[in-house]
Amino acid sequence: MTDYHLVIDGATAEESWIYLDDDAALSDAPSIISLTRLKDQAYALAERSAPLGVILRADGLGKTDLGEDVRELAPFIDRLALIAIHFPAYRNGRGYSAARVLREEFNFTGQLRATGDVLYDQWAMMNRCGINAFELAADIDLATFQTALGELSGAYQPAADQNRGALWARGK
Amino acid sequence: MYRYDEFDHKLVADRVNQFRGQVERRVSGALSEDQFKPLRLMNGVYLQLHAYMLRVAIPYGTLRSEQMRMLAHIARKYDRGYGHFTTRQNIQYNWPALDEIPDLLDELACVEMHAIQTSGNCIRNVTSDQYAGAIEGEAEDPRIVSEIIRQWSTFHPEFTYLPRKFKIAVTAHKNDRAAIKLHDIGIVVKQNDAGEIGYEVHVGGGQGRTPFVAKKMTDFVPKAKLLAYLEAVMRVYNMLGRRDNSYKARIKILVHETGEEEMRRMVEEEFAKIDASEMLTVPQEEIDRISAYFAPPAFETLPADSQAFSQAQADDADFARFVRANVVAHKQDGYAIVNISLKPIGGVPGDATDAQMDVIADLAERFSHDEVRVTHEQNLVLPHVKLDDVKTVYDALAAHELATANLGLISDQIACPGLDYCNLANARSIPLAQEISERFSDLDRQYDIGELKIKISGCINACGHHHVGHIGILGVDKKGTEFYQISLGGAADENAAIGQITGRAFTEEDIVDAIETVVTTYTDLRADGERFIDTYNRVGMAPFKERLYD
Amino acid sequence: MAQHAAKRARFQAVTANRLSDGEVVYFSPDNRWVEAFAMAEVADGAEAAETLLARAMPADFEAHVLEPYLFEVLEDGQAYKPASVRETIRAAGPTVRLDLGKQAEAKAE
Ligand code: HEM
Ligand code: SF4
Repeated sequence: MTDYHLVIDGATAEESWIYLDDDAALSDAPSIISLTRLKDQAYALAERSAPLGVILRADGLGKTDLGEDVRELAPFIDRLALIAIHFPAYRNGRGYSAARVLREEFNFTGQLRATGDVLYDQWAMMNRCGINAFELAADIDLATFQTALGELSGAYQPAADQNRGALWARGK
Repeated sequence: MYRYDEFDHKLVADRVNQFRGQVERRVSGALSEDQFKPLRLMNGVYLQLHAYMLRVAIPYGTLRSEQMRMLAHIARKYDRGYGHFTTRQNIQYNWPALDEIPDLLDELACVEMHAIQTSGNCIRNVTSDQYAGAIEGEAEDPRIVSEIIRQWSTFHPEFTYLPRKFKIAVTAHKNDRAAIKLHDIGIVVKQNDAGEIGYEVHVGGGQGRTPFVAKKMTDFVPKAKLLAYLEAVMRVYNMLGRRDNSYKARIKILVHETGEEEMRRMVEEEFAKIDASEMLTVPQEEIDRISAYFAPPAFETLPADSQAFSQAQADDADFARFVRANVVAHKQDGYAIVNISLKPIGGVPGDATDAQMDVIADLAERFSHDEVRVTHEQNLVLPHVKLDDVKTVYDALAAHELATANLGLISDQIACPGLDYCNLANARSIPLAQEISERFSDLDRQYDIGELKIKISGCINACGHHHVGHIGILGVDKKGTEFYQISLGGAADENAAIGQITGRAFTEEDIVDAIETVVTTYTDLRADGERFIDTYNRVGMAPFKERLYD
Repeated sequence: MAQHAAKRARFQAVTANRLSDGEVVYFSPDNRWVEAFAMAEVADGAEAAETLLARAMPADFEAHVLEPYLFEVLEDGQAYKPASVRETIRAAGPTVRLDLGKQAEAKAE
């Protein structure tokens, strides 16, 4: 997860977070930790005042495992400033549902970030599911990102964004 | 029929431009094949043996004549003068060049058609009953809800990278012609005791390597709640469907592995959450707007019988046979539903030439309120023909080899493209269908045999529905040579069932004889009025097995 | 995909589909992709086959073709022919439409 530049809410942004391995000590820097650590150290983490983020992983969990369950985050939502959703392969779209659950069911308002194998043509869909931060490869500039987001002019269905979708908007 | 508004037009145009960009990036090397493949698939572009293949969506199998004419034009201009109508009510072109596909799609868009989501692990083209709006006894035209589902599922941001493809079918009739129980989601439109329209939902059907008949998840979802219910099913599937093995990734496996009860519980739980926001409750005005497009055409008030129609049958025995096999009662007095068989004796099931498509478009325009339907059994339908006009229509069809009077009979077979075209095939399907059709070419013999559905797939993916054929034939590969396995007793209608394999496979030389053995076993054993499937269900596999292998 | 190279095949050739139009092509002795099976290079033995496939897949092969692979061919008198039904059909065209594919062009010449 090195070598990327960040786009948050459609604009280039400085990375202010660090991904922490489970055995690395917590500092005062805004840190993204694993779900396991979040669950194991819930009490200790409550003492900490620096911003806390978590990554929902989808690999390294054994071959038939689906990936971590977004609903396990429920008890911690209020304490999280960032949730990173890991996409192990662009074909694996499980994270799109996680994003919508976070935004629409848990009303999560912090940074929702896509990390991993994400293609040009997927940014717009992720954005509609509520993902607002993207780790882009170094050779992709902001203009390219914005073009991708605007390629389809509308949507039929509501999702986690402001677009109500044509099936609902037409009557209005 | 549904007509695009500006919004629909713009979105399809955007999509073509987007794909044009993707093709350019692939050709320039900016995209690798591995990256491009899911994108081209999402736009219906496959690679077959000899060339690319483009699959064009025909939502719920309904076409206007100008659309049919465009399909003919595309066959002529971008392909080799024909197209293949498929079991998913789509049309496939076998020879388009990749760099011409964006132009082809531009032309299609002019008549409100596209290839969006005809492939890939997304929600595919919604299919429905070919007699929708024409047959007596529907709770409501199933195309209304099909169109709502089409729109909702198009470019769905959450469900475009599912574990596997996802197919939805809808019927509104007690006789299921859309094989809804063999779909990931099958919907029956019905009326409850209070007279309200709602939906019975079946989940987890499918064919392929491990066929399953869908389980009924709920008896009745109220009209306005259907999308919330569907989204609940989809979300459960997207979160819990397996992604480690593509053969275990369909929702049928999830339903099977978690169990029907648990699946229902999870769906209900998700449904409650989604429905609480009312975000997916479709506004009544929009339902009304879409419904208006499917209002019945301006039928004339006619007597139930037509003198001309009866007289023509008396005068022309071939026409009488056509009427008997291919013409179905319409809900409106004085009208008929006319089936066009794409299974001429010795022909390629489902193929139609550009000239034939043009003829059918003209007939639809003049005699069928501008409508043509595509059936999952790879035939076409003129849904609203006046009885007085049936003979004229028949004569025009006959002049173009489109009047084969074999609907539902042994030569009306389904066959996938098989090893003549398909990259995944083990064996050829089409030549086999041709040989069987030649063997049973005598129409009187076909009528004597009666309703019999033979369905042929060139590999276990089951695009030719072999699992649900009364007689199913599956091509298998043994060391580079073609073999064929027979199964019996499958059904794709309201009594959906998966066929049982008879035993060891037959060689290319022996398979047609084996089919004949199965047929004569049936004719020897049948009781009065029994169809093949009835006899099979009564006597079971044993007598067939005995005759086949002793 | 069914019917690919048999492990014990002696003779093999490399085939792929052309990027622009999907046409079946074969890798030739002068390192080009050609349409006719007759012009394909045939490797004798497993090692030669691997070398041939490597030659067919330089870094930029994807700019020209899709998914090159080895397949078995058999000696047929003076010439070679594909071993499997699948490759026979790829080399000729659909058996149900003799007017289409390479077989049609061959007839027209
Ligand atoms: C190049 C051509 C084609 C390819 C590569 C292809 C590929 C596949 C694959 C891989 C499956 C299995 C999916 C699974 O089990 O998850 C499948 C199933 C299916 N295909 Fe095709 N197919 C092709 C052509 C067709 C055609 C021509 C038709 C219609 C005649 C068709 C209709 C279907 C149907 C109805 C199924 C069964 C759906 C189910 O599993 O529930 N396909 N196809
Ligand atoms: S059943 Fe197999 S051979 Fe037939 S079209 Fe489908 S994938 Fe191809």
